[in-house]
Amino acid sequence: MSLASVSTVAVSLFILGMFTMLVLNLNKLAENLESQVQINVYIKEDVNREDIKDLEGIIKDMQGVENVTYVDRETAMETFKKRLGDQTSILEALEDTNPLPESLVVELKEPAMVQTAAETLQKYDIVEEAKYGQDVIEHLFDITRLLRIFGFGLMLLLAGATLFIISNTIRLTVFARRKEIAIMKYVGATDWFIRWPFLLEGMVMGLCGGIIADIFLQLGYAEVESKIYNTLAFFPLIPADPFMTYISIGVIITGMFIGAMGSTISLKRFLEV
Amino acid sequence: MIHMKNLKKIYDDTGTIALENINLDVKKGEFVFLVGPSGAGKSTFIKLLLREVVPDEGVLTVNGRDVIRMSKKDVPYLRRGLGVIFQDYRLLPDKTVYENVAFAMQVIEAPRRLIQRNVNNVLEIVGLRDKYKCFPNQLSGGEQQRVAIARAIVNNPTILIADEPTGNLDPETSWEIMDIFLKINAAGTTILMATHDKEIVNVMKKRVIAIEDGHIVRDEMRGRYGYEN
Ligand SMILES: Nc1ncnc2c1ncn2[C@@H]1O[C@H](COP(=O)(O)OP(=O)(O)OP(=O)(O)O)[C@@H](O)[C@H]1O
Ligand SMILES: [Mg+2]
Repeated sequence: MSLASVSTVAVSLFILGMFTMLVLNLNKLAENLESQVQINVYIKEDVNREDIKDLEGIIKDMQGVENVTYVDRETAMETFKKRLGDQTSILEALEDTNPLPESLVVELKEPAMVQTAAETLQKYDIVEEAKYGQDVIEHLFDITRLLRIFGFGLMLLLAGATLFIISNTIRLTVFARRKEIAIMKYVGATDWFIRWPFLLEGMVMGLCGGIIADIFLQLGYAEVESKIYNTLAFFPLIPADPFMTYISIGVIITGMFIGAMGSTISLKRFLEV
Repeated sequence: MIHMKNLKKIYDDTGTIALENINLDVKKGEFVFLVGPSGAGKSTFIKLLLREVVPDEGVLTVNGRDVIRMSKKDVPYLRRGLGVIFQDYRLLPDKTVYENVAFAMQVIEAPRRLIQRNVNNVLEIVGLRDKYKCFPNQLSGGEQQRVAIARAIVNNPTILIADEPTGNLDPETSWEIMDIFLKINAAGTTILMATHDKEIVNVMKKRVIAIEDGHIVRDEMRGRYGYEN
């Protein structure tokens, strides 16, 4: 067991852990966005305030609706201005007119119902348009699905690479001790008696690599957490506690498991006597 | 001790019929020489007893164990009843004489007190008590083979199996080894030895089994070597 092989294992496990964390966080983001699915129901111009109130009541009683909020033209403008930020040229072009319609923001309990709900709402006379971020959400789902598959593939690949490194390192030890192993077989040592020191070596390698990887993962996540908190506060990063504890345990156990598997593989041929 | 009936071994990779139609019985306390030309199947015979290779047909029992139908996890227990010696000694170069012998007991997890007693005992038998601290490269070929014998008998096997144990030794040293074998045999251990040593076989007048081309062609009590070299 050399420093070189332990650090290679550590690097593999680090990337493995990093990808797990990335995939889990993206899942969380997707879930969050999914749960935030809402329909903007834009009202036609010059509609009676009373009619809007009536529609609000109808929507509230609809199945699967969590909440309905009325947004008047001024509030809509405020939100719009906030979103524009520095790009004041658009506002200047508007010259103090407010082209934004009144709207009802409908939040749903089940994101799956968004399409039918929007279609139903579209049918009301006073409704200009019932819109939801269909494209955006479907895109995001496509991306996370892709990332999940890609991440899973990469994780398998890295696990394979770790297995390869560990089994190769153990193979060297086994090879150096092949005479001893052959004698042990001849005098009647059991396979388990011969196997366990190598198994231990593989598992210790996985453990050491796992611990080193884990230290860097912890530091890295703390760093990312503070960065994101300062710049992209809306991004719902999974809180480090207890998430990172699970990741630590996962990385270390994965390392030890792969280590045990690696040594079993490299010993197999030498036990066939 | 050893019972073989219609035993047959084919090496799958080359299709060589190494042994065929082998029938014999070896009783407790016998001393048996296995002779025959190179490639006759002597080493294969020995490997069958150790279950290093598995027979394709027939019956094989060793020490009352059915070697053919034995499961993999029982193989170590079969081997604990057998001591083995090879032409090339197979000692561990970084272990002393004492450690090489003790190793055979340690790996079957024998109690420490028993190890010390048995190792000293067998080193006495092979006449290496005063060299117990030496490493193999500090010993002559004959002495190294004596260490291998000590290791083979330290777990009190019922059968001592030797594949050309004197193959690398000069005649005088070979006789020293045979002396030790006779001592071990006199103590009740069955001995089976594959050899090309004409003089030893002819002088000792023990049971001789001759194999040619995978078949037993001769099996005589107080037999002779019977080949010209
Ligand atoms: N592992 C193997 N795979 C294929 N063929 C083998 C194998 N081992 C031995 N053989 C063949 O089986 C036959 C018997 O070989 P074996 O080693 O038993 O002969 P032997 O009597 O011990 O010869 P020697 O006196 O030279 O040691 C030979 O033809 C040999 O080529
Ligand atoms: Mg041979």
